[in-house]
Amino acid sequence: MNPEFQRNLWLELSPRRLILMSVLLALAFGASALSAGEGYTVADTARWLYYAIVVGWGTRNAATAVVGEIRDRTWDMQLLSALPPGAMMWGKLFGSTSFNWFGGAICLVVILGDAAAHQGVAAAAIGLVYYLAVGVIAQAAALLASLVAVRRRHAHSRLDVFVYQAVGIAAALAVYWVWSIVDPASALLARKPATDFIVWWGATLDARGFLIVSLAAFAAWIVSGCYREMRLELKMRNGSAVWLGFLVFIGLYVAGFDAWLEKDKLMAGYDAVALRLLLAMTAYAVLSYLMVILEPKDRVQYRWLGSQLSAAHLGAFFAGLQAWMMAYAAALICAGALIARLELAHPGVQTDAALIAAGIGFLTRDMALFVLMRSRPGRRGDLATLGILFALYVLAPAILKGLGFANLLLLFFPQPDAPSWVGAGFAWAEGVGVAALAFSRASIRRSSAGRSEPSPASWR
Amino acid sequence: MIEVSGLVFEYPSVRALDGVSFRVAAQTITALVGPNGAGKTTLLRCLAALEAPYAGQVLIDGLDTVESPRQIHTRLGYLPDFYGLYDALTVERCLVYAARAHGIAPERSAAAVAKAAERVGLADRMRQRSGELSRGLRQRLAIAQTIVHEPRALLLDEPAAGLDPQARRDLSALLLALRDAGMTLVVSSHILAELEDYCSEMLIIENGRIVGGKPVKVRDVERPRYLLEIATARSDLRDFLAARAGLDIIECDQHHALFTFTRNPGARAKLVRDMVAAGFEVSSFGESSKALEELYFAETHKS
Repeated sequence: MNPEFQRNLWLELSPRRLILMSVLLALAFGASALSAGEGYTVADTARWLYYAIVVGWGTRNAATAVVGEIRDRTWDMQLLSALPPGAMMWGKLFGSTSFNWFGGAICLVVILGDAAAHQGVAAAAIGLVYYLAVGVIAQAAALLASLVAVRRRHAHSRLDVFVYQAVGIAAALAVYWVWSIVDPASALLARKPATDFIVWWGATLDARGFLIVSLAAFAAWIVSGCYREMRLELKMRNGSAVWLGFLVFIGLYVAGFDAWLEKDKLMAGYDAVALRLLLAMTAYAVLSYLMVILEPKDRVQYRWLGSQLSAAHLGAFFAGLQAWMMAYAAALICAGALIARLELAHPGVQTDAALIAAGIGFLTRDMALFVLMRSRPGRRGDLATLGILFALYVLAPAILKGLGFANLLLLFFPQPDAPSWVGAGFAWAEGVGVAALAFSRASIRRSSAGRSEPSPASWR
Repeated sequence: MIEVSGLVFEYPSVRALDGVSFRVAAQTITALVGPNGAGKTTLLRCLAALEAPYAGQVLIDGLDTVESPRQIHTRLGYLPDFYGLYDALTVERCLVYAARAHGIAPERSAAAVAKAAERVGLADRMRQRSGELSRGLRQRLAIAQTIVHEPRALLLDEPAAGLDPQARRDLSALLLALRDAGMTLVVSSHILAELEDYCSEMLIIENGRIVGGKPVKVRDVERPRYLLEIATARSDLRDFLAARAGLDIIECDQHHALFTFTRNPGARAKLVRDMVAAGFEVSSFGESSKALEELYFAETHKS
C-alpha cells in the first residue's frame, strides 16, 4: 500500500471513529424517515449529508493535508522521503479525506438505492459518477489551492485554510450548478426544467453525456494540477507542455460555446471564428489574472529567467516560464488573431479591434503591476495590487466622471462607446512603462561589494 | 561522498551562499560551524536537495541534487533543527512509515525498524505514542526516522540542541557508531565542545562562503591531542617530551604542554610513569577538549 495513504488511514480510520460515524448517520436517516413529509425523502437528507461530509468537511481536510504538515513541522520529513509525487499526491488527497469518503459512501448507498428504485439502475450509475466527480473535484481543488499557496509562503493562518477550502467548495458549487441543468431532480435548491441538448462547436450534443465527459475532463485536469504542484514542492522540475496542453484544451472548450453569443446585439460584427477567438481570449485573460495572483512572483526566478534569455538558452527559458506568463501570451496571440479577423472581415469599417488592443494593453499593465508590487519588501504585495486595480478601474474613473472628464476614462479601461486607437496607445504605454519598472526592480542587493553575478548554469 | 562546486543560493534580496565548493570524504564526521546567519542551514538544505541552487552543483554519492532529488533521498538522511513527529502514531508506526517512505520494501521494513529502534535505544517503547515521549526520546525517534533506511550520508542540523548531558553523550556515541557502520556525517552546531567528541573535520562558513575554501582537519582519531599540566615549573619539560618516540609537541611552556600522541592506553600509562619517575609532578593529563574551538578561531582570524 502507498505509505502516505496508509499513514493517513492510521490517523483517520480508528475503529471508534468509524463506529461513531456509522451510528450518527443511521440516527440521522432514522430521524429523517420518521419526520419526512411530502416531497422530502430520506435520500434528500442523504444528499445534504453527502455534500456536508464529502464537500464541506472533505475540502477542509484536503486543504490541511499539506498545510497541516507544514504547521506541525513534519513536511520536511515528507519532502525528504523517496515517495514519487504521484504517490504523495494521491496518498494525501484520498488519505486525508478517507474518513469523509467513509461517511460519504454510507450516504451514497441511500442516495443511489433511492435512485435505482425510482429512476432505474442507469440513473443510479450516472448519479454515482456525478457524486464521485463532485467530491473529487472539490477536494482536489482545495488541495491544489493549498499547494499553490505553499509555493508562495509557508506560514498559513486559519483564514488562509478557509480560503483554500472555499476554493474547493466553489468548484463543487460550479459542478452542482452545471449538473442541475441536466438533472434538476437531484438539485436540492433551484429546480428548473431539464436541458436535454447542448450546442458545442456547432454540433448538438446530448447534454447529460457532454457534462459527464466535461466533469471527467476537468477532474482529470485538477488532479493533474495537484500532481504538478506536488512535483514542484518535491523539488522536481515541470516542463511547460502540460500547462500548454491545458491552455489548448480550455481555449477549444470555451470557444465551442460561440452559439451562446450569436444572439447578442453587441456581437453583430462578429462571425463564428471571431466569436470563438473572443471566447478563447477572454478565458486566457481570466486565467492570466487568476494565475498571476496565485503563483509566487519570485525575483530570484525572474532574474534566472532573464539570464537564460540573455544567454539564448531558450529551452531552459521556456521550461521555466510561469503559468500566468503562458496564459498571457495565449491571450496576446488570440487578441492578435481576433484583431486581424475583424479588420479583414470588415475592411474600412470601424470594428472592435482598437477596443481589444486596449484591453490587452491594460492586461499587460495589470500583469506587470502584480510583478512590480510583489518585488517590493513586505508580504502584502498582491493585496496592494488589488487595491491599486480597484482605484484604477473604479475609484479614479468615478471621480473623473463626476468632474466631467469622461473623455479621460480611456486612460483607465477600454471604452466600448468610443473605440479608438488612441485609447489602445495609452493602454500599451501604461503596460510597457509598468513592465519596465518591474524589470528594473528584479535586481539583487549584494551582501558584500564586488561579487559578480554567477554564470546561469543550473537552475535547470 | 559529498561534492559541492560553485554553489550559489539566493533569497530574493540577498545571496545566502556565494560560490561554495568543498568535498566531504566517505565515512567521516564533518562539523559545519559558523555564526548565526552564516548560511549553515541553507547549505544543509541544498545538500539535502530541499532547495534548488541558483548556480553550481551538489553531488551526493554521485547524484546531482537538481537532477535526482528523490533518488538522493533513498541514500541520504537529514534531521532539520526544527522538526515534528506524528504525535498520534506509535513509535513503531512512525518508523514503519519512515522506512516505507524511503523505499524500503514492506517485507524488509520490520527488520529495518527494529534495527533503527535498537540503535537509538527505543526498542522497548515501540507501542508508545510519540506525543507521549520526553524531549530526549523524541530526538532519538527523529534520528531513528532519519537513519531507518541506512543512508550513506547523514546531515544533522543542531542535533544536540536541548538535550541533557547524558543524552548528548549518548548522541556522540551513536554518531561514532553510525560512522563506523559506513555513514558519512555532516553535523551543524553552535556548541564546538560537543562537536569535539566526534568530528574529524571542520567546515567553517561565514557570509555564505567557506573559510579557507576547504574542510580543516580537526584531529587524527588515532593520534588525539593531549593536554599535560605539572604542578611545579620545569624548564626541561619540552626537552623531556621531545625525546619521547611518537610524541609531537604543539605548544609547551614550563607548566603545560599540548601534544599529539597515540591513543594506546599502555603507551599513555608508560608516558605518565616515565614522567613521574623523572620527577615531574603531573597534576593533569587528558585529551584536549579545545582543539576544535582553537582551530575555529585560528581559521576565522586568518581569514
